Amino acid sequence: MSLIEYAANGVVYSSIIVLGSIGLSLIYSIAGFANFAHGDTLTVGAYAALVSFGVVGGVGFSVLGLPMGFFLALLVGIAVAAVVAIVTEKLVYEPLDIGSIGLLITSIGVAFVYRALIQMGFGADAIRYDVGAVRPIEALLPYGIRLTQHDVAIVISAAVLVTGLHVLLQHTDLGRKMRAMADNPDLARASGIRTYRIKLWSWIIGAGLAGAGGVFLGLFNQLLPRMGFNLLLVIFAAVILGGIGSVYGAMLGGFLIGMVVQLTPILSDVGIPIGIEYANAVAFLIMVAVLLVRPTGIAGEAVGGEGV
Amino acid sequence: MRGNTNLVQNRRDVLTAAGGAGLLALAGCVGTTEENGDDSDDSDDGGDGDDDAYTIGMVDSLTGSLADFGERNQRAKELALEHVNEIGVGDQELEIIVEDSESESQPGVSAAQKLVNQDNVPFVIGAVGSGVSLSIYESVIEGTGVVQLSQNSTGLGLTDFPGLLRMSPSGRTQSVALADIISEDGYDEVAVTYINDEFGESLYDAFEEAYDGEIVYDSAHDGEEASYDSLVSQMGGSDAEAWLCITYQQEFATIVNDMYSGGYEPQLYGADSNRGDSVLENTPEGSMDGMKLVEPAAPEDQDNYQEFADAFEAEHGEAPTAWSAFTYDCVVTAALSIEAADEFSGDALGEVVRDVTRPEGEEVFSYEEAHEILADGGSADDINYQGVSGPIDFDENGDPRGSLVVMEVQDHDYVSTEFREA
Repeated sequence: MSLIEYAANGVVYSSIIVLGSIGLSLIYSIAGFANFAHGDTLTVGAYAALVSFGVVGGVGFSVLGLPMGFFLALLVGIAVAAVVAIVTEKLVYEPLDIGSIGLLITSIGVAFVYRALIQMGFGADAIRYDVGAVRPIEALLPYGIRLTQHDVAIVISAAVLVTGLHVLLQHTDLGRKMRAMADNPDLARASGIRTYRIKLWSWIIGAGLAGAGGVFLGLFNQLLPRMGFNLLLVIFAAVILGGIGSVYGAMLGGFLIGMVVQLTPILSDVGIPIGIEYANAVAFLIMVAVLLVRPTGIAGEAVGGEGV
Repeated sequence: MRGNTNLVQNRRDVLTAAGGAGLLALAGCVGTTEENGDDSDDSDDGGDGDDDAYTIGMVDSLTGSLADFGERNQRAKELALEHVNEIGVGDQELEIIVEDSESESQPGVSAAQKLVNQDNVPFVIGAVGSGVSLSIYESVIEGTGVVQLSQNSTGLGLTDFPGLLRMSPSGRTQSVALADIISEDGYDEVAVTYINDEFGESLYDAFEEAYDGEIVYDSAHDGEEASYDSLVSQMGGSDAEAWLCITYQQEFATIVNDMYSGGYEPQLYGADSNRGDSVLENTPEGSMDGMKLVEPAAPEDQDNYQEFADAFEAEHGEAPTAWSAFTYDCVVTAALSIEAADEFSGDALGEVVRDVTRPEGEEVFSYEEAHEILADGGSADDINYQGVSGPIDFDENGDPRGSLVVMEVQDHDYVSTEFREA
């Protein structure tokens, strides 16, 4: 009955998860470790956009209930998240020579540092973008769909970013090099690809997409220092479900996990006594079930790269 | 292992004792100067010991996460002591040794141990946090006959310990009041969601028990979620016109936003944990208008509360909270119990502490009025102390009757609309 409403919520939520998952998977396949600071990179992007939107303000005409200033702030959020990731790579990950497990643990520490800095600057209380709250779109209500213009903006922007990444990976020189490096870093280097530069580019793209995800998460709801970290586990589930290291797998996994989480209410609607407080547990159960059948994840091939 | 723990325990005891001794010495000094000031010509004959004051203990959150409460509690305690000692307890004074709980269980228990085992106080006011109060009761007070009266704990679990009294009403009174208000407003169907922890569940259970109508939807929700869209959709799907949310501020703000962007406009109800300026700041203007919340409160239109509030404000430059009114009443109740009891012992005080606050006796609104009746030979049953925080009326579980204020959200602000006794 309200299936269509849950599904609509799911599409919006999935868009955010997908943006987070792509970066995590990309960095895993090229930098070679599971980056636990990725969730907090979302938070960095969200707060960077908050600051820049405060400076720019609601300039320009509005599209889908959002002033052009907000889209400008979105770009700043993406840029800041990418810069922060690059600086961290230069200062922390690169000088460390400790293998993927050591880097993984280090990234947990980095996550704490990001979060603490944000909390010092903005406090622990929730903040919202000053874009004004919106009601659901009237025209869709008769169909049982309760989406706001902001929700539509999130889905469209995410679709544009994901399509852009697809074009980049398939049709540009950089994309081909990235795919080559993800497949086999040694062979890539042997054939003359400057792997170091490719690594930096994958940090920029991965963290940039995460920053965008963070801005949308903040727009979807509110900004909190823990917002990204709270989502990290779900993002990991999405990446593993899709097949870790595969960018297209991460997109698919992110979409599936987001939909499962938001469609969980159906269970109790049809009489199965599993409440929505178990939504994440249901998503993880499905992930485990899929991994039992396909141990490498949906789109995963044999474990490659320099991963664990 | 065991020896080790004992060692630590002993060392702590020694330290506490040393600290306590210092504090006592200090208290002694203060006591002496006061005596020289106004009591020196009194030839007291009723003194039971080397000190001509009844000494009780208090465990308070002077430091730690609940220090805000502790500070105001101390101010209210000073005020109450002033009012009590102007008249005197019997023909003596009341003295309170204050120990810090650091707002945590372990230091709280050490503080209570010192009060009970070294200072031999028969009456302990304490503590602020429900967990601390329970720890103190279970590890120090239970079985000793000492009376414990918590000033600020509202946890539902305290009801299960009849020997542990408290001045602040149990969270249960909120649930019952909400059930009544929803019924009175004419809703016989309600959708309920509560935070997935001990607090939320216990309040929900109490609500379920008290509500006459039908709960058409109930679900727990986890804290700190990015979105409660599916929860809101489900509550909307239940077709209930009244929604009750028992949750915390951040979660509630998220729920309200999801409600707003989902186009739902139910009549909202909530507990006092939902209330806060951060909720107002983070929700769209007008999105909660008409919502009703209940909160423990002092009867602000009662004369004795007014006097208390004026005196408090005159001395400290800020209005008291309901929580400091509870502390004031703790001290007065202790003084009345001492005066009404046959002797200054825990067992004797325990027998009368409930009666001095309960009906049948004459309603008295200040320590002075009560003192007159008791001085005329009245017993604990002859007085019914009406505190500055409400009617008190301890029941057999040691819980007060509790009084609540109903708030309504009007023009995106909280307005108190009604005062209710539970």
